Amino acid sequence: MGDNSHQQIPLREGFWTSGAPDSGPRLIGSRCTQCGEVYFPKKPKGWCVHCQQQTLEEILLSPRGRISAVTVVRQPPAGGFYHGPVPYAYGLVDLPDGLRLVSQITADNLEAVPVGAEAELVIRPLYQNSEGREVLTFMFTPVA
Amino acid sequence: MKNLKEMREVFVAGIGLTKWGVYEDQECYDFGSEAIFKALADAGMGWTEVQAAFCGSVYQGTASGHQAIKEVGLTGIPVVNVENACSSGGSSLRLAYLMVAAEIYDVVIALGMEKMPRGPIPSTAFRPWELASGFNIQVGNYALETVEYMKETGVTEEDLARVTVKNRKNGAMNPNARFQKPVSLEEVMGSRMVAEPLRLLHCCPLADGAAAAVLCGKDKLKSLSRGIKVAASALTSGVYGDGMPAAGIVNSLKYPPEVGILELSAQQAYEASGYGPEDIDIVQGYDTTVPSELWGMEKLGFCNKGEAAGLLRDGKFDLDGELPVNTDGGLMSRGHPLGATGLGQICELVTQLRNEAGARQVKKARVGLAHAMGAGPNSSITILTR
Ligand SMILES: [Zn+2]
Repeated sequence: MGDNSHQQIPLREGFWTSGAPDSGPRLIGSRCTQCGEVYFPKKPKGWCVHCQQQTLEEILLSPRGRISAVTVVRQPPAGGFYHGPVPYAYGLVDLPDGLRLVSQITADNLEAVPVGAEAELVIRPLYQNSEGREVLTFMFTPVA
Repeated sequence: MKNLKEMREVFVAGIGLTKWGVYEDQECYDFGSEAIFKALADAGMGWTEVQAAFCGSVYQGTASGHQAIKEVGLTGIPVVNVENACSSGGSSLRLAYLMVAAEIYDVVIALGMEKMPRGPIPSTAFRPWELASGFNIQVGNYALETVEYMKETGVTEEDLARVTVKNRKNGAMNPNARFQKPVSLEEVMGSRMVAEPLRLLHCCPLADGAAAAVLCGKDKLKSLSRGIKVAASALTSGVYGDGMPAAGIVNSLKYPPEVGILELSAQQAYEASGYGPEDIDIVQGYDTTVPSELWGMEKLGFCNKGEAAGLLRDGKFDLDGELPVNTDGGLMSRGHPLGATGLGQICELVTQLRNEAGARQVKKARVGLAHAMGAGPNSSITILTR
C-alpha cells in the first residue's frame, strides 16, 4: 500500500461545491418552488416532504450561519461507524436560507464555542480511511 | 375513523416483569418467555386462553417474538412482531388494546423484550453519512435539545441532577431495577461529562429485560378488583417541522408545527380517555436522559414550559408528592431495554393502581399515565385507570 495521505475524498459526493477560487465552498441543498421549504442535503428525487410535490430545485446554501446549539462529545458513538477524533463538537446551525442543519463544529477551543455565534462553512479532514486517504467533510467554524 | 370511546372496554388482566440487568447467559427469548408466564400467572389465565400476541423488540432479529413464544407453547395463534424503536413496547400494547376493543379477540398478550446488542448497532434513523459524521450519539442529540431547553427556560445543571436523585431514590425500592442504589446530588454533578451539559448520571443505563401484559374484555377478567382499565392508548409518529435530534430530525424554521409530536399524542390520549392532566395521579415519564422527563412533563400539559424544574424542587414529583413521577425509578434506575421499556412502565402503573407497590406505593392513585418516545420518531401514551 502506497502513501495515499495526499489524496482526499469527500465523505459523500454532491454535498458541497468548491466554488470559484475567490468564493469558497458552498453546501448544495434543495428548495421547493411551491412552498419555499429548504433542505440539506439535496433530495435526489426532488420531492418536497412538506407539500408532497415534486417541486424541488437545487440551490447553493449560504456559507454563513448561526450556531443555535452545540455540544462537545467526550466518548465515541457506539457502533463503530464514526472514525473521526474524540472529543468532537457538533451542533445545530441556522442558515439565512431558512433551514437548520446538523454539522460538526470546529474551533481551536471546542468548549469555548458560544451558542449564538456566527459561523462559516469550511471543508476539513474528518479521518483517514483504510486505504490511507483523507476523508473530507463540511463543518462550521465560529467567525471572530 | 372509529371513536374508541364507543368500542369495548379493555382491561389489563395481568402483568409480568423480569428483573432488568445485564445477562450474558440469557437470550431475549429466555426472559421474554419468563415475562409471559409471569403475566399469565398474574392474570390467573392459561396460555390456551390467549388468542393473539404482539411482541415488541428493536434489535432482536427476525421473528424474535416467535422465539419467545416457542418457549411458552405453540397454540396456532397469530404472533406479530412490532419494531417501533423505543415505543415498541407501547406500540405492542396499543395493537393488543385495539384488537380487544374492536372485539377481534377477547384475550391478547403484549410482550416487550430486549437483549441490548453488544456490538455495532446500525441505526436506520441516521443515514450512513450521518453515522460517519458522529451524529448518532443519543447523549449528544439530547444534549443539543437540552442546550436549547436550558437557554429558553433557565433550567440549571443542578435541576437536571435532581431528576436523577429523585428517580434513583425511587429505584432503590424497586427489586426489578438494574440500579437499586440512591445517588446524591454531588455524585451526579461530579460524574463524568459525556456531552455538555449531560453527564453520565444524567443518562439512563442500558439493560436486558422483558415485560408483558395480558389484555382482555371485562367478562374475561378472573379478578374484577385487580383488572386495570385501559382508558387510552395513543401513538403519534412524527409531525412535520418538529425537530428531534435523537431521531435524526431537525426542526423546520420556515414551517414550525402548530402542535408537536408529544403534545399531539397527549391531546389524543386525553381526548380518548376523557381525562385531562388535572385528573392524573401518577406518571411514568420518559427519562432516557433526565431533561426529557422535565420537558416531557411540560409537553404533557402538567405545567407550563420552564416550570417543571421548580415543581420538582418543591417535591411535587416525589413519591409522596402531589404527582409522583417515575415511581419505579424510571429509565434511570430500571435501565432501558428498548423494546421492553414501554411495557415496563405499564407494569409499574398497574402495580401502583392495584395498590401492590409495597415500599414505593403512592397514595390515592386512581389514574396513571405512561409516556415513551424516541427514534422513529414516535410518541406513545397510555392512560390506565382503576
Ligand atoms: Zn414544498
